[in-house]
This record gives sequence, C-alpha cells and structure tokens, in this order.
Amino acid sequence: MERKSSMEILNSESGHHCNASSDSLGSDSKSSSLNSKLGQEPAQPNNSNEPIQPARPDDLPMLPGEKIQGFAKEVTYLCPYSGPARGILSVTNYKLHFRSIDRDTPYVVEVPLGVVSRVEKVGGQSSRGENSYGIELFCKDMRNLRFGHKQENHSRRDVFEKLQQYAFPLSHKLPMFAFEYSETFPENGWNIHEPIAELKRMGVPNDMWKISRINENYEICDSYPTVLAIPTQVTDEDIRVIAQFRSRGRIPVLSWIHPESQATITRASQPLVGVGGKRCKEDEKYIQLIMDANAQSHKLFIMDARPSANAIANKAKGGGYESEESYQNAELVFLDIHNIHVMRESQRKLKELCFPQIDEARWFSGVDSTYWLKHIKCVLAGACRIVDKVENHKTSVLVHCSDGWDRTAQLTALAMLLLDPHYRTIKGFEVLIEKEWLSFGHKFQQRIGHGDDKHSDADRSPVFLQLIDAVWQVTTMFENAFEFNEHFLITILDHLYSCRFGTFLFNSDRERNRENMKQRTVSLWSYINSSLDLYKNPLYYPQLHVLEPIASMRYMKLWKGLYCRWNPSMRVQDPIYQRTRELLVLKEQLDKSSEECRKELKARMPRTVSTPTRIASHIHI
Amino acid sequence: MFSLFTMNKFRLGISDNTRRYSSTFKSFIGLEADPECQPYGNNHDESYLEQFTPKLLQGEMVVAEAQNVLLYRPVSDHKSGQSGVLFVTNFKLSFVTSEGADMDEMNCQKNFFLGPNDVCLSNVDILYQVGGGGKKKLIPGQSLSDRVKGLFVVCKNMKSFSFCFKFSPLGHGKALTNALLHHAYPRRHQLLFAYDYRETYNPSVKDVLSFREAGEWGTELARTQSIGWRLSSVNHDFQLSTSLPQWIVVSSTVLDWQLAEAARHFRCGRPPLWCWSSASGAALVRTADIIPTITDRVQENIMLETVRKAHPKLTQPIVLDLAKDLPSPKELDISFNKLRDLCTPDSLPQFWLQDKEFLPLLESSRWLMYVSQCLIKSVEAARSLEKDITVVLQERDGRDMCCLVSSLIQLLLDPFYHTLSGFQSLIQKEWVVMGHAFCTRLGHVFNPEAQQSPLFLLFLDCVWQLTILYPSQFQFSETYLTTLWDAAHLNIFDTFLFDCDRDRLLAAMEPNNPLTLRCVWNWSEQFSDKDTSLFINPLYNPSNSSNLLSLDCVTLPHLQLWAQAYFRFTPPLELVGGGYPQFDFFARSTLLPPSPTPLDDLTVDQVGSFYPFTQWRTTGSVHPLNHSLKMSTLSLDTTIESSGGGGDDATSCETGVMD
Repeated sequence: MERKSSMEILNSESGHHCNASSDSLGSDSKSSSLNSKLGQEPAQPNNSNEPIQPARPDDLPMLPGEKIQGFAKEVTYLCPYSGPARGILSVTNYKLHFRSIDRDTPYVVEVPLGVVSRVEKVGGQSSRGENSYGIELFCKDMRNLRFGHKQENHSRRDVFEKLQQYAFPLSHKLPMFAFEYSETFPENGWNIHEPIAELKRMGVPNDMWKISRINENYEICDSYPTVLAIPTQVTDEDIRVIAQFRSRGRIPVLSWIHPESQATITRASQPLVGVGGKRCKEDEKYIQLIMDANAQSHKLFIMDARPSANAIANKAKGGGYESEESYQNAELVFLDIHNIHVMRESQRKLKELCFPQIDEARWFSGVDSTYWLKHIKCVLAGACRIVDKVENHKTSVLVHCSDGWDRTAQLTALAMLLLDPHYRTIKGFEVLIEKEWLSFGHKFQQRIGHGDDKHSDADRSPVFLQLIDAVWQVTTMFENAFEFNEHFLITILDHLYSCRFGTFLFNSDRERNRENMKQRTVSLWSYINSSLDLYKNPLYYPQLHVLEPIASMRYMKLWKGLYCRWNPSMRVQDPIYQRTRELLVLKEQLDKSSEECRKELKARMPRTVSTPTRIASHIHI
Repeated sequence: MFSLFTMNKFRLGISDNTRRYSSTFKSFIGLEADPECQPYGNNHDESYLEQFTPKLLQGEMVVAEAQNVLLYRPVSDHKSGQSGVLFVTNFKLSFVTSEGADMDEMNCQKNFFLGPNDVCLSNVDILYQVGGGGKKKLIPGQSLSDRVKGLFVVCKNMKSFSFCFKFSPLGHGKALTNALLHHAYPRRHQLLFAYDYRETYNPSVKDVLSFREAGEWGTELARTQSIGWRLSSVNHDFQLSTSLPQWIVVSSTVLDWQLAEAARHFRCGRPPLWCWSSASGAALVRTADIIPTITDRVQENIMLETVRKAHPKLTQPIVLDLAKDLPSPKELDISFNKLRDLCTPDSLPQFWLQDKEFLPLLESSRWLMYVSQCLIKSVEAARSLEKDITVVLQERDGRDMCCLVSSLIQLLLDPFYHTLSGFQSLIQKEWVVMGHAFCTRLGHVFNPEAQQSPLFLLFLDCVWQLTILYPSQFQFSETYLTTLWDAAHLNIFDTFLFDCDRDRLLAAMEPNNPLTLRCVWNWSEQFSDKDTSLFINPLYNPSNSSNLLSLDCVTLPHLQLWAQAYFRFTPPLELVGGGYPQFDFFARSTLLPPSPTPLDDLTVDQVGSFYPFTQWRTTGSVHPLNHSLKMSTLSLDTTIESSGGGGDDATSCETGVMD
C-alpha cells in the first residue's frame, strides 16, 4: 500500500499534471485550491517572447457553465501587501477575476463569489485622492478585497450590481452557480456515502441494533436522514412518543459502534424537560435500551456539549437536560463548548488578527485574545473524553447539545475520527462528513449563508470550520495517521463557500432530496476523488490504533496555512510539508537506486531471477 | 540497617476526585488517612540492601541518604509514586528503587553515568520545600532545622522530581535536603566532581577540531580560502587576554606589537579577531567593546581599519552592536526562569492552571522573541557577508552574544558545520576556546555575584528552529541537540566546565590534584551505539544544500516551542503513537542503512512523542482495534486486512518502500 501510493506520486511527478508535492505542497498554490492564485502568475511558455497582451474578458479561464456577466477596465486592485495594481476586472456568474496590466508578470486575483459575504461601495462623488472611489468586498475566508474605480469611467455601478446579483443569487431570485455548473468527472461523489453499507461496515444490524425506515418520509424528524440505526427492541410507537420529547424530533440514534465492546456513540437533541422537569417514560426506557445494548458496562454517559449554565438556561425555553434521577445509571457531563454566537464573535476577532497585517511582537497574546484556539481545544477535549469512555471504559456515550446539529456533530465526528481508522482515509473522511454533518442536518445553508446578502445574520457561525480546524490540529500531532493532507482540508473549506458544488448547499437531507441535488449538481467528492493524488499524505501508513490527542493549549496551533494564507510573509511553508517534500525526493533516489540494482542483478543473472525480488539497497548519505 | 518495605508501588485508595482539590498538598492528608498506604515494615532482607545502593563511580561517595522516600510521578496528582531510598553523593542526587527493572524495559536513552532517577548535582537548579499546602524556595547554603515533609527539585534541563518524606524516619528528609543545599551549590570549582572522578580516560575523539593548536586554525584558514588574515601567537601564555585561546587569527595588516598595544584598550583584552571567511573574501570578525573608561575610540578605529584592509577589495566592514539589539545575559536569565517555571509544573492541577494562560505566559517569558531576534540578526549579518561585506560583531566582553551570533552565521552560510563533527568543531571554535564563560553562565559554581544565563541553550534553540525549517540540511538530530543541552550540566566532562581555556589548562596542570580532561564530544563515554545512532538526522542530504537566509520564516509567528527539550519530562504531554518520532522512524527505516537502534524491540505505534526521553509510561492505553472493524470497501487500501496489524511496525514500513 505504502509503495503503491508513493509510486503513484512519483510517477505523476513526471507527468504533465501537477502532483502532491508540487501542487498541494507548493507554497503558491497551497494558498488556495480554487485555481485562484493570489500573487504572480507564472509566465506562459508559449507567449514568453511576445509582449503580454492585456487580457480581454473572453480570455478568462472559465468553468463549464460559467458566463461573463460584466467587466471593467482601468480598475485598481489595492493589495494590502504589494500595493496598487491596475488592470481589468471581470465578473462571472461564479467568480470575480482581476488581472493586472501594469506589471511585468500579471497579477491575478480570483475569488468565487460564494466566498463574498458583503459588497460595499467606497467613496462617493466628492471623493478625492487616488483610489478612494471604488468597491470593497468582505469575504468569508478571512480576507477583504478593495478595488478602485475611476469616477469618469462610470464603471463602478455595473460591476457593483453584477457582484450583488451573483454573490447573492438567492436575494436576487437567481440560481446558485452549482445548478449551472456542468463539468463532468470520472468519479461520482454522490455515491460515496451509502448509509446501509456504512452501518454494515460497523456490523449493524446485529442483535441489539436495527436499521429503521421509520423516518422514510421525514415524518419523525425532518432534519434527520431516512435511514436510522436504533435499538432493536424499541417500538415505532415509542419512537413517535420520544420524538415529541426531543427538540425538533431529533431522537437518540446510533453514530458509531465499537467493533469489540459494542460500546456506542449515539446522538440526539436536548430533551424537552422545561422548567417543570417534565419526564418521558418512553425516552427513559429508550436510553436504558441504549445502555443495555452494551453488555460491557452498566452505565451510560450523557455528554451535553454545552456549558452547564446554558443547559440550565434552556429549561426556561422548554429544553434542558436529563436529570440523573429520571435516567438511572446515566451520568451527565457538560463539555463546556460555547454556542454559535460566541464562535462567530471569536471568528471575527480571528480575522482581525490575521488580516491584513499581523502584530508579530504580540502574536501569542493576540492569538490568545481571539479565544479561537481555546474553543478548538474545548471541542477536542470533549471528543477525547468521549473516546476515553468508549475505548478505555467500554461505556456507551450519548451526545447532545440543544438541537444536536452543531456542537453534537463536531463531537461525534471528531470522536469517530479518533476511534476509527477508516475515517482517517480520504474517502472515509468524506463519508464522515456526509454522515455526521450532511445527513444529520447541520444547517450549512444557514450557518454559511450561501447566496444571501444578510451578512450579519445571527444564524451564521463557523461551526464546520472549527471541526476542520480540530481535525487539522490532530493531523499535526499524528502526522502519519491520516491519508489526506492539509490541502484536502483547505479544499473542503474553500468549496464550503464557493457554491460550485451541491454538497454543502441546503440545510438537510430532506431539502437536498427535494431539490434533486444528486442529479442537478456536482458533488465536491466527485471533483476531489477524480484527482486523489493531490490530496494524499505521502507519510501515511494505516494505523489501526485509537488516536489519543492531547487537548492542551501547549499543543494548539494557529492554522497559519489557512487563516494567514493571503499574507505573503506568512505563507512560509509548513515544516511538515517541507519535510514531506524532502522525504519524497529521497524516496525517489531510493527507488532509483533500487531500480538500478535490480537492473544490474538482472543483467548478471538473466535467467535465475524469475520474479522481481526485494533488494536491500540503501542510500548512503 | 535500612528500614525497608516490600510494598513498592503506591496505589493510594483515594477516590478519583482529581478535580476537587485546589492545592497539591492536600493529597498528603489522604495519604495518611488511608490504612493501605502505611508502608512501614522492617524488612531486613539482604538482597534488598543491595538493591537500594546507588551505583557509584570511581571517586564517588555517598554524603547523605533518606529512606522510605516516595517519588511521585512527575506532573501528577501525587497519588501514585515509587518508593525507595534517596541519596546525595558528591556527584549526583540518586533515587534508588527496586522498580528500576521496570525502567530497563523502557526504550529510553540511557546515560552510563546517570540512571533515570538520578541527576547530576550541577544540573540542580532550584529546591523547594513542600508542605503545609504550598512550596517554599530554599536558599543555597541555608541549613534547615525543621522537619522536611517534601522536596521539589527543579533541574536546569527542566527535569523535576517530587519527593515525599512522609514515611521516612524522622530527620531523614531534613538531613538529605541540607546535604543537597550544600553539595548542589559548591562554592569552589575544585569541589566539582570532575576533580574527584578517578576513572582512567582514553581520549578517542578524532574528527572534532579543538582549535587549541596552530595547525587546526591553519586548516580552517585554508578551508575557507581566507586571504588577508594570519595566525598569531601573540596570546601565547595568555599575555594578551586570559579569555582568548593561545592561537588567534588577526588581520595580516596588523603587527603583533600593535595588536598587543590595542588589546589593552578592549574589554577583557579582546581586539577584533577573525572567525570565518566567505568565498568572496568577506570576513566574520568578533570583538569586545572599548573599555568604558577610555573615552576616545582611536584604538578601535585603528583595529577596524586593519579589518577593512584585510578585505580583498578593501570594503568598509559593518559593525553590529549585539549588546544593543539582543538581550543581555541578565534579561535572558529572567526569560529562561519564566520559561522554566512554565515547563516545570509541580503537579497536574498546576499544569492545567498554566495551560489556560499558556500563550500569554509564553509570550511574557519573551523566550521565543529572543530566539527570533537572534535568528533575524544572524540572517541579516549572513546576508551582508553574502554581499561580500565584512561583518564585525561587537558586544561588551565579546563572550556571549558574539559566540551565539557568530556560530549561527557560520551555520547559515557554511555547510561544513552542518555535519555532526563540523557542528562540534564550531562549538569548540566559537564557544569553548573563544572563552564563553560556561562555568559562570551555567552556574556550575555557586556565586550570587555572578550572572547565570543560558546563552548556550538559546543557541541550541536557534539551531533547533533551523533544523525544523530546513529538515534535510543538518546531519544532527533534535535528539542530539537535546542531549547536548543535558551534557552541559554533567560535571564529568571539561568542555562546558570552564570560563576559558586558560582556567582549563591551569586545572589540568595543577600539581596536587591535576584534572583529567575528558572531552564531551567522545559520546561513547556516555551512551551506547544504539543511543548515539539517534543523533543522526535520517533526512540529512548534503548534496541538496539550499539557501537558509529567509527572514520571513524566522519571525515570531513562525517559531515553535522546542517540545522535546522543554516538555519531555511532562508525561501528560506525551502523545502515544504520535509526534516527531513517528516521522523519524519512518524516515530512518526508509532512508538509512540498518543500524542498531533502540527501535528494534518496539512497534512504532507504542512509541511516544518524547522518544527517546520517555521515562514514564503514559497512562492512556492505546489498544489496536480489532480487525473485525473492516476497512471500507471504498478504501483504496486492500493490504491492511491481509497484513493485519503488521503495517504499523518499522520493518514493514521498510518493506513497503523497498518492495
């Protein structure tokens, strides 16, 4: 396996296409996976002898289904790092594209409009001073872009309108780009997650767990998938009662089962206990069934992701948490993860810290004051506690927060990633996102605000970004344990916003089915799985053990490769990737020398070597 | 003779209420209350007596001992530990336990002179008396009269020990602490163990240049193709300066008598001296300041003029005032103390308290900022040298930052120093013979007047950052750098024991008790081949030398805290099956010829991130999942199931690549 993947990488290096070491690990393209290089474009070999032609709009590199909607000449891009650049700005139904004409090597900025959260005009008729009149874009990926227009050209109005329309198609009754995009790929990512097959992989159904179709028509819960794994003994009638007792009908269902101990991770929403301390016999019985399904332990941990104060406050709104009197043998633990509003504020501070300039001298206290890493640490610590209970104490864990689609998804997905090596492969990780996030109704539409112009919507929050960040933290602790590299994670996040693929559109399984997304749009996984080599970690070797990361601030790092990638001085290669690259070079030498030995051996003993044998040669350095 | 007990491991019957107590000392109350942990019992078995005797070196003597001592697991909740006898000798603090056998199984680096629970007295930094819910810093030379219940020992290499004398016979704790307060802080150099050590020594270091002989400087001048500089014996018998070597390299345009005249105007008699030349002829020069009482800078100007004339194009040199832009030894010491406090929590609750404020605390220690400043200064200077401009490093006595910056510059520019032997020669050249005051700065001899300062550690940290930034450029590994830091606190070898070469020579020629000089570079004196094989970086690739002069990547946000060096004695931070050793093994098994490594008996996923310094088994257990958990059919990988768990060990890593 190791050999295979490394050989693939080495072979592709000689090929025409970019490969893992030169693309995903290269400092330039690593900064973005959107083909949107911010910086200098390498000179094209075919026009090296000709003067550089000012790009006309029809020269734009475009995706199938992409159309030019507008363009303006004599626009100035005000780069916070390298100063103003004059050039041509184009707007398509997918992206904004700027290409400079006043520099020897053209400077190109490309931003998918899905990334834009706000477009504003800067300066008015009375504006004086160069470049004080123009447009500013505020982006979801930690950058802002400013363009200066010349008043006398009257170009701003059209560009502004086109940007408004195509950055916020929903607010303008226009289709999302994902529905126009028509590229085809050899792989079909929509098939990556087969719920029944995934449950079967975990050994479900079995004596204790069954696959239920009770939610076939989303009648029990409209934010859950149609296929659910629940204890065998529970009746459909009880399920209907329990759904009334759980917020938004999100009943406890199986996320993961330990192959040996049968300890499980189940997920739910909060029970509707309210101020009066309402009880539900069916729910209590059901929790007991979940506990009994694991013969190894006579206890169940209920991990409430919230801070206890928030959980108590929820009682006033009819929610709350399981009391230990009502739920015998259950132990309630609060994991102290804050709500979406706190996280949004933290992200805002993080952007302030990372863009455009950073304060080097006060870097660490600056990072600390955003609380971003503390929140990530908290999520990771919660997942570690779940893993410890399931793995080391063979005890089942039920996870919930308020509605069970934000913090709960973070915890279950992360815990499963640590417990089950399958989810550390590229396709396994895609399944994990499809399963724990998409099928269980994380409200991507609301949290990201795809295509709508309500930039200060209180429902927006970087919950999924935090998961990916936490995963990245774990990859820095266990460099060999993941099949995917950093570029894979960044690509997922870039297309979380880009609206090029249907994957992250809408809020639930039900909505995506209703919209026929599988037929009408392309899956992000089709794109990724059609060029897997770009996303592979060359250091990966499958480890079957459980990962136990350490949730200490001493190990939490700010993900500079993501958050600071627009700043050229911060775009220093991650040493891990540098090491990887070094190792690849050495591996190549090794392969070459062993190939030479093989040839030599063959030449010496032409007839005795029937099958290629392993030759123990080493590079002596 | 000894009051011994058979119960070795304390698993105290206190319920798991780790979060409830606020101070570390309350657990002692629990300890007393529990009938299970009354370890008294007079077992006079002879074999136990043998077991509880420290291994002594030739010339080593026991000066104090305490029986029935508990050694807590480091950075723990103080609920479990080992019991044994604690000794102070004229060389070390030694905890002897019958559980030592346990340690032998561990695949950790083994020093021939020190066991896992030993520490050389020169390494002892701070002693705290523990009791009454807090801890009190003890003053060296002080004599305690009260009962000592517990002792917390913090070492200069950030190792720490938490001892409890609760079960020791009355007076043992006090006697031991008093002995330690006396012997760990010697007032005279002659009290260091090196003078008592009687083992014969067969020098066998070949590939490291000592820079004590004219020939070695000559070789260096020739290697760097230096022109305009010459070897001078003007410091013969240390007439010019007591802190400089007897052979020095000076501008060809200066005569010895001129130099002798000028030297008197410089602090410590240290005029501008050659360190290194670039291929184009620019030179790296180091000098002390003019003596403060001298108001005119005539002699300095004369000397700088001779430096200019030594340049083939007579280009004007640039002079960098290191004292102005870089931390003073005192500032650095304050910084180190904060860093050390941050890395040596006395208990698990303190560990988590610090963790909450870790980033602000790290920043306020300023340690990484100083690392960054040194690297930036060195890169800037190296860039000047690349532009064919001679660089003169100037600093008060020219014996601190001059050593650090000049060696960093040479490391940045000259691949010769990227090998293990080259690096050791560099330390000889810029630190040892050029008179970095190791004895004073490392605090080998207790002297409240003298300024301790870990300049050498700051240097090693800077080098470590470079090895992380440029992983295939250096032949030595981070384990080597960490071990070198440890070795600086081992008072058997003379290399880091003296303030200058003259002191070393005098000690060796002392008629009554001549000191046997043992060079630290002879690593086989301390470690087995298995351990020293880990000093080599498997990724080192001399044929692929790259430019190391990027300024961006040495700014503060890009630097990391050196986890192996600073966290390795903090078991809660050890990642099982993770961290750099995983990568290192992978690279080692892939790229290096088979060699004896301690890895042989291990499977990789058992190895922790502090390997080879792991001394405590991590509590968390990592069980491989049973293979009944099928890898998905979607997975590309079909070899896992067939090869079982075997894909994890080093051999099959190798197979995987070699196939």
